[in-house]
Amino acid sequence: MAVVMSPKDFATATPSWWCAGCGDYGVLASLKQACAELALQPKDVAFISGIGCSGKISGYLHSYAYHGVHGRALPAATAIKLANRDLTVIAAGGDGDGYAIGAGHFVHAVRRNTNMTYIVMDNQTYGLTKGQSSPTSAVGYITGTSPTGNPDAPVNGLALALAAGGTFLARGFSSQPKLMTAMIKEAINHPGFAIVEVMSPCVTFNKVNTYAWFKENVYSIDEVEGYDPTDRKRAFEVLMAQGKIPLGIFYREIRPTLDEIVLKDSPAVAGLTIDADLGRFASIQEAYR
Amino acid sequence: MILNNIEVMFGGQAGDGSLTTGDLIAGVFKRMGLEVYTYKDFPSRIRGGHTNYVIRAGTRANYGMADFVDCLVAFDLEAVQMHIEEIRSGGFVIFDNTSEELTEEVRRDDVTFYEVPLGKLAKVDLGLEIVRNTISLGVIGKLVGMDPQVVREAVTGVYKRKGEKVVDLNIRAIEAGENYVTEHYGDKPTGYGLTKGEDGDRLIMMGNDAIGYGALTAGCRFMAGYPITPATDVLEWMAKYAPKYGGVVIQAEDELAAINMIIGASFAGVRSMTATSGPGISLMTEGIGLAGSIEQPIVIIECARAGPSTGLPTKTEQSNLNHLIFGGHGEIPRVVLAPGTVEESFYITIDAFNIAEKYQCPVFVLSEQALCQSKATLPHLNFDHLEVDRGKLVLDPVVFGEYKRYEFTDDGVSPRVIPGVEGGMHLVPGSEHNDSGVITENAKNRKRMMEKRMGKLISMKPDLPKANVFGHPEAGIAIIGYGSNRGPIAEAVDRFAEAGVATRFLQLRTLWPFPEEEVQAFIRDAEHIFIVENTFTGQLARLIKVITGPLPHMHSVLKYNGKPFRPIEVIEAIGTTANVRSYAEV
Repeated sequence: MAVVMSPKDFATATPSWWCAGCGDYGVLASLKQACAELALQPKDVAFISGIGCSGKISGYLHSYAYHGVHGRALPAATAIKLANRDLTVIAAGGDGDGYAIGAGHFVHAVRRNTNMTYIVMDNQTYGLTKGQSSPTSAVGYITGTSPTGNPDAPVNGLALALAAGGTFLARGFSSQPKLMTAMIKEAINHPGFAIVEVMSPCVTFNKVNTYAWFKENVYSIDEVEGYDPTDRKRAFEVLMAQGKIPLGIFYREIRPTLDEIVLKDSPAVAGLTIDADLGRFASIQEAYR
Repeated sequence: MILNNIEVMFGGQAGDGSLTTGDLIAGVFKRMGLEVYTYKDFPSRIRGGHTNYVIRAGTRANYGMADFVDCLVAFDLEAVQMHIEEIRSGGFVIFDNTSEELTEEVRRDDVTFYEVPLGKLAKVDLGLEIVRNTISLGVIGKLVGMDPQVVREAVTGVYKRKGEKVVDLNIRAIEAGENYVTEHYGDKPTGYGLTKGEDGDRLIMMGNDAIGYGALTAGCRFMAGYPITPATDVLEWMAKYAPKYGGVVIQAEDELAAINMIIGASFAGVRSMTATSGPGISLMTEGIGLAGSIEQPIVIIECARAGPSTGLPTKTEQSNLNHLIFGGHGEIPRVVLAPGTVEESFYITIDAFNIAEKYQCPVFVLSEQALCQSKATLPHLNFDHLEVDRGKLVLDPVVFGEYKRYEFTDDGVSPRVIPGVEGGMHLVPGSEHNDSGVITENAKNRKRMMEKRMGKLISMKPDLPKANVFGHPEAGIAIIGYGSNRGPIAEAVDRFAEAGVATRFLQLRTLWPFPEEEVQAFIRDAEHIFIVENTFTGQLARLIKVITGPLPHMHSVLKYNGKPFRPIEVIEAIGTTANVRSYAEV
């Protein structure tokens, strides 16, 4: 039976802590829209976030939500999927959460290819700590911790993911809700680890990468003639190119997911109903006689 | 001389086969009906470097190390040089003189040397160098008067999976060892004899295996871990068994991932655990705080090794106790349980899962290298009274709007609904939150929420494992210890009693919340209190002093060289300090 869902079904009563105009509102709206259009049920959605302005998002999506520690959303999300494969598992976090403190987990989550979605809300700054440079800040970006300009080259998260064996790589822009909603839907439907990186401007601290700046500096991959999202080499070229920032779905590949590999034909929820008859484990001790 | 217990040490280079031979002889002792404890003392490398494996066997249950080595099997000269001082007066050395000669300066007048070219016999007479280990077993069997038939049965038992040829070869190796002794030293050269026990039908199991087995039995179906000595065996055990029962075992990219994975799996409703050692605990500390804050049941197996930093990765110590109890920012309810034997490792791990889920908090099972990587005999495990208590887990749909994940209750424990259940959607935030799980900085709520969480430490008390008490309940000498020290301390108590000196021993099995009442009651009227532990700073003693204040008759007995206590060390420390008459005879 098809159930008609509305984005409101995924709304919580919790007031938002984000600044007016924050790009994260767009991400949240598209996420709710995508969940509704896919007719997901809140009870079947596990939504895991990290720490930072972006991490607050788990409080605003009506679901089974988990707001963990900084940078560790992906290990928790991976395990939640393995524990209950019937859940739609979505993790979200910022550029600091995913590409700085959580960069180690990012690479391993990508290579595991667990069937889940990861939304990276990239505002190229540290908002919640009041505007320090982030792993995606441009070289020369001036902040309180980089008064003479950020010396570090930015992390190219999607190229990194492609090198690590990524199977779904997309980038959206928070003021293009339709495109982002479509992307998130495809990501959720992708059988594997799907990454949607969203350019989500910080209106309070990032005075460089503003909405206006993005409008001037993005282009859609769909405008590139003959672009084939199954061509890994081509995807690398596009993701590594200097200049304007491409938006769209850059790469897709189907390969076995971690949950398929390790769970095989196990029940959906591992160990939810625990044996009442513990005596059935008694025979294991025979190996120690 | 008929011994009722014996300690055999195999010493050589890592990779020489000391471990294999040690396990083989442990199996023989078990078949003889003796109780066995083994201790691995090996370097943190794969090939080369001195290693030794100690096998203690006798008629008394739950051994630790003996006072001295009765029989050293030295595969090289270095083994003799390193361990000659540990040999009992009247003991003996079996030295493999295939490629090295015994030098005069290593000899002791009160120790007999049997030089046997184990390597040569293996290579020349049997055509395979590796069987020198089995030859050594034949030599030991002859020298300590083991039943030759039992030796053959044990060897057959170990090798039968590898086929008849391998069994035959090893039986011939045993014969070669026995014959060499008879030809060169006569039929009964040592005068040693070893008593035979009654019940050979018991188990022999490593502490880490007992932990894995307990976890599986308790319903653990998710484990994430990062390999680390001496905890890796638990991960390997679960990787072998858990998938057969629908479980998942993940080798994580680091301990940060491992701890956050098990919290995630727990959030999804699955009993989960990790196993690690000190350095891993350091990395997991932030995640443990999260589990405390969002009230997620998890079990953390801590197989302690000597720190700090990399420390002595393959040696034993109890110095992580403070970290388990106090580590981390902020304050959370947590439980630290400490088995003292392999058998207890099984049952206490099951307790850990029930306590974790019933009180929705992190529970540590604290073992140590000298227990978790040691094998010991134990009676068959009893499954009759085991049960799984999932506490306030709710699997039925709840009325949306009425469900509060962090509902305030008398015992501090709130009903726990898991993803997939209709109506129970909620947020679990590491930030402070109200009873509905909504993040708030409200001061009144904060106070109440702290009291709710920390109050669980009180409501859980009836479910915590009780301490074991040994010895005479009114003895003037009171000893407190835990973990692997149960073996040497309990043996010291017995030997004091045999010498007419009454002592009592409290083996703590719950270390946090600290068992104040048990400790207070135990030390009442004691003339001397001894706290025995493998730390430099006396971590357990300090915990006790918090409740007793400084007491002039309280003494710490400390050992922190990476090796477990031998009973004589406990006896001497107590005898000297408490001025026990003739303790040297104990």
